[in-house]
Amino acid sequence: MKCRRCGQEAEVELISHHTAFCRECFFVYFKRQVQKAIKDWRMFRKQERILVAVSGGKDSLSLWDVLLDLGYDVTGLFVDLKIDGFSEKAKEKIEAFAQTRKAKLIVVDLEKEGIPIPKVMKLTGKQPCSVCGQVKRYYFNHIAYTKRFHVLATGHNLDDETGRLLANLLRWQMFYLIDQGPVLPPANRLVKKVKPLYRLTEYEIAAYAFLKDIDYLAERCPFSKGATFLKYKHYMNLLEYEFPGTKLDFYQGFLKKMKPFLTPLQKEEAPIAHLCPECGYPTLAPICGVCRLKEDIKKAGS
Amino acid sequence: MIRIKFFPQGKEMTIEKTLTVKQLLKKLNLVPQTALVIREGKILTSDKVLKDGDEVEIRVVGSRG
Repeated sequence: MKCRRCGQEAEVELISHHTAFCRECFFVYFKRQVQKAIKDWRMFRKQERILVAVSGGKDSLSLWDVLLDLGYDVTGLFVDLKIDGFSEKAKEKIEAFAQTRKAKLIVVDLEKEGIPIPKVMKLTGKQPCSVCGQVKRYYFNHIAYTKRFHVLATGHNLDDETGRLLANLLRWQMFYLIDQGPVLPPANRLVKKVKPLYRLTEYEIAAYAFLKDIDYLAERCPFSKGATFLKYKHYMNLLEYEFPGTKLDFYQGFLKKMKPFLTPLQKEEAPIAHLCPECGYPTLAPICGVCRLKEDIKKAGS
Repeated sequence: MIRIKFFPQGKEMTIEKTLTVKQLLKKLNLVPQTALVIREGKILTSDKVLKDGDEVEIRVVGSRG
């Protein structure tokens, strides 16, 4: 198989695009997809400060890598969840990447914050994925806002987005559909959130990470076993194989044809929040969820 | 004999018969474009033929959650 751009031996075959690229031309393609996402959705500009949420996996490290290559002012943010045998490995890979690329990195240590995830689960009996999502969202927003970043970028890819879209559509989860898209505008003290990799599949990102020699953590979180969103991704992959191009068409179609109807609802349905007296984070409750969690853990531990 | 190694699990297996990457993925029950097939530091397209003596790495690309 030959590269479509230069005719050399191809390394990355992209069935969805009926094409294949050699290594160098694939990098050109990859960067162009990211640049198109940034430009089409006016995600951020060269002079703006970008905070990238990094987990140590292929998506977030590839995002960090490509934004650095494109010359953006990017800082990584890692929330150390303190999950045994997992968080430590992730941290090592992230710190090694930051050192090699001479990139700025912020680490939030949940042990120091008083809410390491295993302890929270043990003392509150909460589901790991929901509490982990809540805590991560809090720190992503809080750090981005207090350290005056323009935007928070995450490594969500086309598979994440189409898997989520399928799940939300199957249950007509209007509240979640309203917020779905490559950009979530700022609100109250919540910063603008963007997904510059939304046009790229997991396969393309894994290929990029491998070819760029990015040492990422491939192991799954020990708490995510059997997570239902993985099933939706699997069924999307089966559809994609039968009908190449389905994922991008499905998502682009949603953004072009459905999103305009949902955007007005976003304003109507946005609940009015006040600021947490403890930390200043927007919340509907008397104090925010994370401050309450900290108090609960303190009480339960004493 | 073709040696197959799965990343990151480290699980190994061997296949006796010459086959293409596409045939290998089918044999392993993997949907195309959900796993990278790597030989000697290069990603292989589906038409590449795997031969006796090849060592191949399979990286399933799904997110970790």
